[in-house]
Amino acid sequence: MSDQKDIQKINSTGFFALVIGLVALAISLYGIFSGLETEDPARGFLSWLVGLSFWLSIALGLLFITQIWYVFHARWPTIIRRQCEHFLSVFPWLFLLFIPLFIIPQIIGEPGILWKWLDGANALPGGHGTVQDDPLYQWKSVYLNSNAFIVRAAIYFSVFIGLSYFLRKWSFDTDITGNVENTHKARRLSSVGLFLLATASTLAGIDWFKSLDYHWFSTMYGVWFFAASMRAALSAILIFCIIVSVKGYMKGTFKQAHRYDLGCMMLAFTIFWAYISFSQYFLIYNANIPEETYWYNIREHDGYGVKNSWWVISLLLIFAHFIAPFLMLLWYKTKIVVNRLVFVAIWILVFHLVDLYWNLIPGKVIDATASHGYYIRQFSVEVFDITAIIGIGGICIWSVCRSMLKAEPIPIKDPNILTSLNHSE
Amino acid sequence: MSSDTTDCSIDSAKQALLDKVAPATLKDQNLVTNNREFSWVTNKICKIVESNTPNWWWVCMAVALVTASFTLMGLIWLVSTGVGVWGLANPINWGWAIVNFVFWIGIGHAGTLISAILCLLKQGWRTSINRAAEAMTIFAVVCAGIFPLFHVGRVWFAWWLFPLPNANLIWPQFRSPLEWDVFAVSTYGTVSVLFWYMGMIPDLGILRDRAVQRLTAGIYEETSKLRESIARGTDVFRKYFYGVLAMGWRNAGNHWRNYEMAYLLLAGLSTPLVLSVHTIVSFDFAVAVLPGWHTTIFPPYFVAGAIFSGFGMVLTLMLPLRALYGLHDLITQRHIDNMCKICLGTGSIVGYAYIMEFFIAWYGANPYESFAFINRAFGQYSWAYYIMFSCNVFTPQLFWFKAVRQNAALVWIMSILINVGMWFERFVITVTSLANDFLPSSWGYYSPTIVDIFTFAGTFGLFSTLFLMFLRFLPLMPIGEIKFIMPQADPHGHSDDDGKESE
Repeated sequence: MSDQKDIQKINSTGFFALVIGLVALAISLYGIFSGLETEDPARGFLSWLVGLSFWLSIALGLLFITQIWYVFHARWPTIIRRQCEHFLSVFPWLFLLFIPLFIIPQIIGEPGILWKWLDGANALPGGHGTVQDDPLYQWKSVYLNSNAFIVRAAIYFSVFIGLSYFLRKWSFDTDITGNVENTHKARRLSSVGLFLLATASTLAGIDWFKSLDYHWFSTMYGVWFFAASMRAALSAILIFCIIVSVKGYMKGTFKQAHRYDLGCMMLAFTIFWAYISFSQYFLIYNANIPEETYWYNIREHDGYGVKNSWWVISLLLIFAHFIAPFLMLLWYKTKIVVNRLVFVAIWILVFHLVDLYWNLIPGKVIDATASHGYYIRQFSVEVFDITAIIGIGGICIWSVCRSMLKAEPIPIKDPNILTSLNHSE
Repeated sequence: MSSDTTDCSIDSAKQALLDKVAPATLKDQNLVTNNREFSWVTNKICKIVESNTPNWWWVCMAVALVTASFTLMGLIWLVSTGVGVWGLANPINWGWAIVNFVFWIGIGHAGTLISAILCLLKQGWRTSINRAAEAMTIFAVVCAGIFPLFHVGRVWFAWWLFPLPNANLIWPQFRSPLEWDVFAVSTYGTVSVLFWYMGMIPDLGILRDRAVQRLTAGIYEETSKLRESIARGTDVFRKYFYGVLAMGWRNAGNHWRNYEMAYLLLAGLSTPLVLSVHTIVSFDFAVAVLPGWHTTIFPPYFVAGAIFSGFGMVLTLMLPLRALYGLHDLITQRHIDNMCKICLGTGSIVGYAYIMEFFIAWYGANPYESFAFINRAFGQYSWAYYIMFSCNVFTPQLFWFKAVRQNAALVWIMSILINVGMWFERFVITVTSLANDFLPSSWGYYSPTIVDIFTFAGTFGLFSTLFLMFLRFLPLMPIGEIKFIMPQADPHGHSDDDGKESE
């Protein structure tokens, strides 16, 4: 447990985050309902989904990395792992915050407002009948239907919450008992947990993101979600560790060597993300099959070759989300100088958000006045996007603060704690 | 927030928290067991090269050479007759040749992975196995190269693959991944050789110095004058052979500093190469529009499969060597455990890809794509599909069990099954999609000819020949690096029970 001064700081931060979070969420809810009257009623829900997926990807990435560290018997990140464990407390809240996305459309009697296939009566863009007449939907309806969606979401969150619960429980218990069996149990659970998590997060990516446009498909999508989540998670935990070490909570234990290694991992996953994103793009581009390429086409032009707003975002993903952090992180100094590393981490998080926008927001919005009978939803940063990110983030930070009060700042009796404390480059 | 690189050190931390630090004890096996001395490690590894050639080596070499001659005969037959001697026929114009190429190039991934990626990840356990794995990599690349080289038909024109100006103004098709393969594989081969050779320089220096020491001291305990002369003559040969190869290595501090830096740089360069080679090999298939080939997960799936098969081959080679040379203190159960776990992990990634391909083939609602996968599982090649799936996905799942990992004979058998499975994976991908393509009237069934079979079987002989030569003439393990991870190398006189490395 931390000392009194720390407890006070954590308590007040948590309370502040909770208040901000609730206020922002209330505004977001207002955004959802007020948006129903507009020509694009799904946009408010998408704001919420982007906010949720931003924090969910961070939490999932941290759940992945915690388990990967256990499986690899990694010693150096032991003190960082404790900070990850605090973040793992957010899953139940994310589950609660996921529910409105499904429930609100049901309440207002338009179940397919966000995920079009949830309502068979939804019209298809371009005057091609309704979802239930769509042969592609009929083929997939065994998988893409309301009941299966609910059951699967419950299973995914059970996996996320279950794994986090036990990993946190055993780690916190070691602080008190010093029982090495907890480490063994965590290692065993992690080796199985990685399988469960990989499956759950892949299918969650398909259900919640890819099925926004249920015609499109790509085997790489789950790997993309993993890569993106890892980048976000590493950046987030790095910023968190630096903040709490500067504020005194981690007692100066988070050292240059830890920063350096986290920086190396950020570099590695920056390359990995680019590798995955490029491979997906390149293989679809090269094969040039219309049923796949349209997904990229709507992110580039209006159908007549005129570039739309997503074109710039696409270029930003290449140059700002890959090349810039890649070049910055190549330098040794970037990985050790606090300000530079924090800058890169924030940069990556900002463009991770842009990546989520790019993946989730574009879609065909029916508009009888448009030339094809629909238009492509363009890039825009709405007030309700920001409130959703802040709102869900506020709840997450409150949850992290609550967790920080439940355990020591570093896992004091973990078998690898000394190696981690004495870690050098 | 501080903008410089200095840290709050542990000293300035609140002492109360640090006073509470009381790590629980977690025992891990050392990476070099039985508390061996440095000199033991040097002797053990050098003696493999310096002692008389064991009888089993001669037997293996004879078998390997005879087997290798199959490839030679197959290729002579092919060149003198034409590519028609292989079992290729419309619509299956890619058969065993590409399967064998991908199979061998996949095996060639473990060496550089162990050397480069595990080096960057600071995995101390790599040291006992990296040298042999690197050698294996190079020999596997040699075997792999044979197939596309001869598949071009008129092999004497293979140099056209390189963008050299020539009289006919013929340029390679730069948009073809097969052309990228030429660059990827040749770059990978070159860097792997460099990495392998550079890593050996300190050990070549040791072998040279030991020969010089014996010559200077004249300590030969041979039973006859003739034997002593032969031993002296061999040492004179060693003095110059290893002397030239060691390139003036003197074990000096600055030599080691340069060596470490060069090793790190090569590790950094090799890492993207490891990924690029099999990524491009996957592009050979994935850029096509053929159902079963065109799927976006191919690049990482192929890389994982390559690492999987590479580690399978490392186990296949290292387990018998461990028994034959009594290397149990250097290749410990912990090494075997780690390799088994990597096989389990990568095998499962491959399994994930198989299932994801199947699922998205259905989810994509493209009837041709769905057919390709249904056909794989239930069509004329279903036997190959089941061999692939059971060897690659189910077999490594046995590595969950400690009892299995501790049974060297069983691990060895499973490592062979892994490679059988990986060969069939490439067969399933290549042949099933071609045999039953868009036009049912042209469907066919592919069978290899005797030339196919002999050419492929012979590459195992070629691979074994090269590996046996490596065993006899070059140091099997990096002596210096092994010493570095031993508890005795800890300058503070203590170790944290795991061979000191921070994983």
